[in-house]
Amino acid sequence: MLEHVYLIPLIPLAASLLIIFLGSEGGHSRMPLLSILAMAWCLAQALGIFWQAACGHVHLPYQASWDWFSFPVDAGGKAFSYSMPIGVLIDGAAAVMLVVVTLVSSLVQIYSLSYMHGDPRFKRYYAFLSFFTASMLGLVVSNNLLVTFACWELVGVSSYLLIGFWFEKPGPVYASKKAFITTKLGDCGLYLALLFIFTKVGSFQITQIQDFVSRGYLAPMAATLIALGLLAGAVGKSAQWPLFIWLPDAMEGPTPVSALIHAATMVAAGIYLVAKCYFIYVASPLAMETVAWVGLITALLAATMAMVAYDIKRVLAFSTVSQLGFMMCALGVGGYTAGLFHLTTHAFFKALLFLGAGSVIHAVHSNDMRHMGGLSKKMPITFVTMFIGTYAIAGLWPSAGFYSKELILEKVYGHSPLMFAILLFAALLTAFYMFRLIFLTFLGSPRDTVKHHHADESPAVMTGPLLLLAFLSIVSGYLLERNHLFAHLVDYTFPEGMKPEGAHVNALFLNYGVSALVLGSIGLSWKLYGGQDFKLAESLKQKLSWLFNALEDRYGFDEIFLGLVSFSDKSARLAFWFDTAVVDQIFVDGWGLLTKIIAEISNLFDAMFIDRTVDGFGDLSVDVGSGLRSLISRGQVQEYLMYIAIAVSLFATLILSR
Amino acid sequence: MSAQISLAHYLTLGALLFLIGMFGALTRRNIIGILMSIELMFNAANINLAAFNHFLHPQGVAGQAVALFIIAVAAAEVVVGLALVLAIHRNTETVYVEEFSILKG
Amino acid sequence: MYLLSLITFTPLIAAMIVLCLPKEKEKVIQIVSLAAGAVSFAFSLLLLPAFDKHTPAMQFIERFPWIPSLDVNYIMGIDGLSLPLVILTTFMTLLALIGSLGIKERIKEYFFWFLVLETGMLGVFEALDLVLFYFFWELTLVPMYFLIGIWGGPKKEFAAIKFFLYTLSGSVFMLLAILALYFNSTPNTFDMMALMNAHSLWSPRFQILVFLGFYLAFAIKVPAFPFHTWLPLAHVEAPTAVSVILAAVLLKMGVYGLLRISYGMLPAGFEWFLPMLIVIAVVNIVYGALCAMAQTDMKKMVAYSSVNHMGYCLLGVAGVSATGFSGAVLQMVNHGIITGSLFLLVGVIYDRAHTRDISAFGGLAARVPVYAALMSLACFASLGLPGLAGFISEFLCFLGAFPRWKVYTAIGVLGILTTAAFFLRMIEKVFLGPMNNKWTGMSDMNARELASVVPLTVVTVALGFWPRWALDFMNATMIHMAGLFNK
Repeated sequence: MLEHVYLIPLIPLAASLLIIFLGSEGGHSRMPLLSILAMAWCLAQALGIFWQAACGHVHLPYQASWDWFSFPVDAGGKAFSYSMPIGVLIDGAAAVMLVVVTLVSSLVQIYSLSYMHGDPRFKRYYAFLSFFTASMLGLVVSNNLLVTFACWELVGVSSYLLIGFWFEKPGPVYASKKAFITTKLGDCGLYLALLFIFTKVGSFQITQIQDFVSRGYLAPMAATLIALGLLAGAVGKSAQWPLFIWLPDAMEGPTPVSALIHAATMVAAGIYLVAKCYFIYVASPLAMETVAWVGLITALLAATMAMVAYDIKRVLAFSTVSQLGFMMCALGVGGYTAGLFHLTTHAFFKALLFLGAGSVIHAVHSNDMRHMGGLSKKMPITFVTMFIGTYAIAGLWPSAGFYSKELILEKVYGHSPLMFAILLFAALLTAFYMFRLIFLTFLGSPRDTVKHHHADESPAVMTGPLLLLAFLSIVSGYLLERNHLFAHLVDYTFPEGMKPEGAHVNALFLNYGVSALVLGSIGLSWKLYGGQDFKLAESLKQKLSWLFNALEDRYGFDEIFLGLVSFSDKSARLAFWFDTAVVDQIFVDGWGLLTKIIAEISNLFDAMFIDRTVDGFGDLSVDVGSGLRSLISRGQVQEYLMYIAIAVSLFATLILSR
Repeated sequence: MSAQISLAHYLTLGALLFLIGMFGALTRRNIIGILMSIELMFNAANINLAAFNHFLHPQGVAGQAVALFIIAVAAAEVVVGLALVLAIHRNTETVYVEEFSILKG
Repeated sequence: MYLLSLITFTPLIAAMIVLCLPKEKEKVIQIVSLAAGAVSFAFSLLLLPAFDKHTPAMQFIERFPWIPSLDVNYIMGIDGLSLPLVILTTFMTLLALIGSLGIKERIKEYFFWFLVLETGMLGVFEALDLVLFYFFWELTLVPMYFLIGIWGGPKKEFAAIKFFLYTLSGSVFMLLAILALYFNSTPNTFDMMALMNAHSLWSPRFQILVFLGFYLAFAIKVPAFPFHTWLPLAHVEAPTAVSVILAAVLLKMGVYGLLRISYGMLPAGFEWFLPMLIVIAVVNIVYGALCAMAQTDMKKMVAYSSVNHMGYCLLGVAGVSATGFSGAVLQMVNHGIITGSLFLLVGVIYDRAHTRDISAFGGLAARVPVYAALMSLACFASLGLPGLAGFISEFLCFLGAFPRWKVYTAIGVLGILTTAAFFLRMIEKVFLGPMNNKWTGMSDMNARELASVVPLTVVTVALGFWPRWALDFMNATMIHMAGLFNK
């Protein structure tokens, strides 16, 4: 099974190409089945690998490598041909990621059969989706950071294509561009980190880099720079502060896409990258601390922004950003297992929430929660599953979120009580705004009766994946936690002396305390949004309008982005003006002008000196000639004859006297 | 001291004759006289040629042959010269050279 | 087997045939020209199996005396540096000839000049004698002048004369430099292979002077800041196929010269100039991208993106490492392919809409999906998306320059971001958003257009996934070249 693991990214890629080039366009194409088939195969493979690894039948990490291309490199003043490998590296994290990606991807693809049915570009949608999955799986299995980066970019471009899938509308187009450029900004750091790594290590192969670092060859300064570069990439892709602004806008894409790409898989790629290169972070405490704080700030800011959003997808998007912050923070404080654990469970319940939201949007044709309300009776399955998802994300026992979030909080508590307090606050906010979403959407009385009237439960193709994900949201935490299965699989062994300091944590105290606070937060949410009217919420909004405005403006981070865009536009115009008005004038037209001036000068010189001289010679000879003529040339033959005679005798004298 | 006539004697004679001719050509006013003086110079050259032939290349006849050519050329030259003189005389009624200066530009 | 001469002079012979044909026989002229392009391309492909990848030495050498009294010889030969460029030239010319089938006026002269141009370009990459090199170098100018000046856009005469005079003024300095090398070599020679081994006898001062002479000529061709401003004008005015050749091949002559002559023969001059070269490279990258961002004319945007992409080449060269050199050469090939297809594609839309203003379009992706797909692919390739040709070469350029110039390289990386920004904006404005009703009748690409673009797209993808097809031919030469500097 493991020896065919390289097929896992290739099969969806092939499916994607086949779908693009074969079959007819239109909303009823049967080509999507091909994509789902490919995905199912991948899922089977991934589950097989995971099962074998979990049972200890195979030894991880597994690595296989092939030559990709070779290029010359210089080392120590000598150049030789370096052969770039392309290959797979399956460690515990990759095995888990494979399952997450293939599972969510399969479910989303099945779900989309109904959700996207009838779209004129139905076929293309599946081609893109398949392509995305292929790149994402490539990213997961690659054993080579350059290939990882390549897949990383391809994932970005698939995200671009899918966010802008409905390209006739300006919103998605703008959002897709924003997403691409913002993540690309982070990728610049990643790019530099790659250059740095190769310059230092002379290889892109993860195991070789790890070997290099663990031997202590990498100076702390270099490690910090590389780690921060990698972090920049992760910050862009995982929508961390300060580059998180693209993710809420990315919700313009089709909802299943949001579930797959912008909740469960692609945005987790940043976390995965940091985890994959964890050995570099371990070598640099400063980078670790940065990671933790970036995650912390993101978790808090995004959670606060989610409090006031009314677009159901935006709330989920902010929540995704916030949860990704949790994972990042966990990684930063040394909670490798905790971060990846939360990544896994979060993928399930966030995908569930998004797909549920998609189901709601499909029913009421609106994203705005102010137009919903009272949908629980109309869409019971959606309501129940979404409630489970919310329950899980709030981190209440015995859901999956309980296990993963507690693990993170424990780790952070051990690292720094201040960080713990902030993170706990973010967790309470999470419970608050997520239950607010549930209350606004499903409970109370319908606020838009027309929409409510037309709403209906989604077909089984859509509810099926919801139910399965809801099941996983409940049990996956327990299953993975039991016997420390997850920790066994993905645990990171810290080198001696580098283990992060952690005080002994009374887990029991934390569990109860946090759960109690979360329940309180939910109660508060019920108090504000659970009733028929929102008098309390409204009055609060009146009193704290400055805060609400700041939150709705996303603290002005969008303005920073727009400012950057207009700055680059301005500098572009300035550069072009400089080009035409200065460079072109000086170096091309100026060149011509210079030539012309030189030509004029030389013309003047010519007229004044050279030509004068020539004329002067002419005049001189005329003058001399006429003078001579009047002197000696009087037409007398005999005079001429005499001259001849004199001349001849002169010449004769000269010749003879030699 | 040899009584024999040597090349030098001939050359002296040629030179004298040439100088007489040149003097005549430069000083005679009558154009006919000038023509005759020119003939004298030709003949001075002829004497030289014959003398060189005799003394330097006794077997050859090149010098004498050239002398013969010169005589022929001189005859032709005189013909042309006299024709010119005739033409001039018809126009100007004079044979004195200082009286026509139409060569003056 | 005078293969190189065959490759080079097949187009010239065809040009002579075209010259003898009556100008009404347009079909025959086109067939002869295409056949010549195809034959030349086929011959150049024959080089591949015969080429020895493991040696940096010159191969396929041909040598005849030309002007014996001055020791000027006809020497042709290729190594891993010139082979990719030769094949690029024959390939791009063939596709440009296909793309030129749409030319309607003065067909005979057009194809005549085009074929002469091909001979000139091939000669530059193959000549190993400086006089021969100079001869071919100048030979490319004249056809280009006429191709822009007769078949160009509204300001064609101005553009043509500007192009001609400006590039010629560079060549003048090159001629001086060539003569300087000739008179300072013992025995006096124009043989490039001999001159490459002669530099140890020259003082650094002399090398610097000669280097500057060559550099002016090459920098104008590249085009390196600040000598680049002829390029946008020439591109905008030139007919599509000529733009393709201009971008795909002619610019490469500059970098080729920089590597072959400036670096190969004058290492001391090169070393002296290196700190300036890296600055110029970074300026080319960032400034070129910024200028491209300010454009509304698609063609001008692509032209400025060429400035940006040639900056990557210069960056690779300035890295003075085997990695950087192979990145630069690969980037030349990839830029030729990608920008070639971009120009062809811009030509396609211009033929239909008679405008290239990006804001004049909108929502075309729904109307012309094949065109939109090919164009987007080319744009993504140009902005360096992995899996497409541009990525590996850009990466190698950066990787080659990084150890020597860390800060400059870091600034250069910003160029990638800017490139992405303006290409995405072009895609957005032209293809996405609400449909502009003015173009509802626009037709998708026809067979001729597809025939000229699709091969490029295929190569773009192929080289992106499998760059070893190009890199394997270069490695030995690049390693050898990098070794020259360290000595």
